Amino acid sequence: MSRTSVAVLGTLAEFHREPIPYNLSALVKLVTELHPDLLCLDMTPEQWQRREFDDLPPEYREGLLPLANQTDIVVVPIGEERALEEPTASGGRGRVITLLRKGLGLLQRSAPGPTAINEGWRHHVANVLYDTIARLAGNDIRHAWHAHITHLTRQILEVVRRDPGCRVLVVVNVRHCHHIRPALRKHPEIDVVSYLQL
Amino acid sequence: MPVMSTHLIIFAPAALHREAWRALLKDQPSIVIGGVLADSARLAAVLQPDLPTTLLIDLPTPQPEVIRSLKDSGPKLGLLVLVQSYDLSEIIPLLKAGATGCISRDESVGDLARAIIAAGRGEIVLPPIVAVQALTALAHGEPVGSANLIEPLTEREVDVLRLLAQGLTNKDIAQTLILSVRTIDAHLRSIFAKLDVRSRTEAALWAARNGYGPEK
Repeated sequence: MSRTSVAVLGTLAEFHREPIPYNLSALVKLVTELHPDLLCLDMTPEQWQRREFDDLPPEYREGLLPLANQTDIVVVPIGEERALEEPTASGGRGRVITLLRKGLGLLQRSAPGPTAINEGWRHHVANVLYDTIARLAGNDIRHAWHAHITHLTRQILEVVRRDPGCRVLVVVNVRHCHHIRPALRKHPEIDVVSYLQL
Repeated sequence: MPVMSTHLIIFAPAALHREAWRALLKDQPSIVIGGVLADSARLAAVLQPDLPTTLLIDLPTPQPEVIRSLKDSGPKLGLLVLVQSYDLSEIIPLLKAGATGCISRDESVGDLARAIIAAGRGEIVLPPIVAVQALTALAHGEPVGSANLIEPLTEREVDVLRLLAQGLTNKDIAQTLILSVRTIDAHLRSIFAKLDVRSRTEAALWAARNGYGPEK
């Protein structure tokens, strides 16, 4: 059986919307060098078909989609119909969520490049912060995140089964990476690799 | 597996045009500028035969004789000609002379970059609707193989053939079917073998004549 290499790259997408210094060209350069056959992005097929990119995070809208347009990289929209809600809560929980988000923002601002959030302590700290935020925001958010991850994983699996042997790069919010990778590893036809090994 | 970049050679008699194209395209992903020429006589010196190569031709009035001479100098070169508009009366003689495709000066940089990559692979580079008309015009009198297949096409190969006959490039076919460009290349090789044709032009013509072409 031909195994398909899949790498999952995380971004702190929601912080790219904020006016903080972040050089998208570094991410574009990284993906240019990796040059995957298929680029799975967390956007809906409808957004892709209609070329409605206004609601997408800047790293998609200004970085990866223009790159794919100019190269042989094929875009695979794997997102759900409904956008994922950002976690909120009232009272003390809400204040803690705000603090934790500031911590995530700090991680993003201090990252030397797009790979930093995918390696070492930053990757793990970001994961812990997101998990804590989801717990504080309540079961609805946790269930929604879980359902979203299940959907993304199913879509990636479908792509791999349709085109086995190709090189697949998944670029999603870093909060999903720790869950998507183990979910994909359960399937023998998929070889989950680091983006450096793609 | 490393991805092979397309080697780009720019041919423009005007110095400012050469430099403008070089400045515009030097940082494009998957494209490496291999040379700029003011005179087609120097073409042989900058050719690298093992790399997919596109010659971007920026002439005030592209003439078929010039295209023919460039094709003779580099038979495997993708010849991409800049045109003012997609006027079939201008395009058909260029294609007959050996041009791989034409691109209008009104297109975007992204479209130009994709066209350069596709032309390097030898694909017909034209907007789909123009490509279909051009193929029809080129078809007159050309043999396109027998209607009998050596082996039946798979369902996926039929999908690829239909899109090919609509004038889509490999990248556009890949994006439509959500498959990699490499997979489309493999399907096309298999289709060519089953149809007993040698090129995508012949395959597209075969498709049009055997009911796989675009609906009228």
